[in-house]
Amino acid sequence: MALFRFSPTLDPINALLNLQRELERVVDNPLGLDLGLSGRGVSPAVNVFSDRDGYMVRTEVPGMSPEQINIESHGRTLTISGKRESGAPQGGSFHRRERSSGQFSRSLQLPADLDLSRAEASYKQGMLTVRIPKREEAKPRQITIKAA
Amino acid sequence: MANQELTPREKQELTRDEQTRPGRTYVPDVDIYETTDSLWLWADMPGVDEHSLEVNVADGVLSIAGWVALQDYDNLTPVYTEYNVGNYARRFTLSNEIEAERIKARMTNGVLELELPKAERTKPRQISVAAS
Repeated sequence: MALFRFSPTLDPINALLNLQRELERVVDNPLGLDLGLSGRGVSPAVNVFSDRDGYMVRTEVPGMSPEQINIESHGRTLTISGKRESGAPQGGSFHRRERSSGQFSRSLQLPADLDLSRAEASYKQGMLTVRIPKREEAKPRQITIKAA
Repeated sequence: MANQELTPREKQELTRDEQTRPGRTYVPDVDIYETTDSLWLWADMPGVDEHSLEVNVADGVLSIAGWVALQDYDNLTPVYTEYNVGNYARRFTLSNEIEAERIKARMTNGVLELELPKAERTKPRQISVAAS
């Protein structure tokens, strides 16, 4: 369990990550989709994306049911936790056991312009997606010009 | 085991075989289990649905491959990323003869489950010894 904070604009580490992302994009990413670095020591690994309406936090937790995943928000902190069980038929033995099972918990501190009270989560094909919309006042807005 | 905290593992990129499709390919984590009748295999392939999956048994080699839908990521800007997204592929040499036509495959919540029934003649058989 670890708390990770980010402020997307002013954090020097994030700036570095962005740089590395750009480098990777140029060097070896034929699709132009970069989901760059991995494994920063906490489970489950998360990816965070943004679009006009807000943020999307995505993590891969295959083989679970939605009831086994717990998502909580507390202030600006979003916590995803759960327990992955492993089951097998009786009367045999394992040759390989690479799929991990056990408990996981992950917290992220989100930027203040997001509205966690309106967050929505979905679980599909083993991927958990939490969408957090921006507060209305933080959304980009078109300003129309009044005729004089 | 039950209360163990999960430790993250970096996805392993497949470098052995060259792929014809673009994008990165990763090696899925698998569990393999054997009973007297069948070989069971579970593979973690998050992001793959039952229509983008290929399971093949040929010449004693089982190959599985799955493709992820990348259009989900259109119009999104990465803010912070810890894992890569890509296709999955892995091959296994089978030590038992498998009845290919009776293989059952199921995809649930990003986990592929395969039941590979062993061929009748390769199953262990009890031989009774007659007293003389």
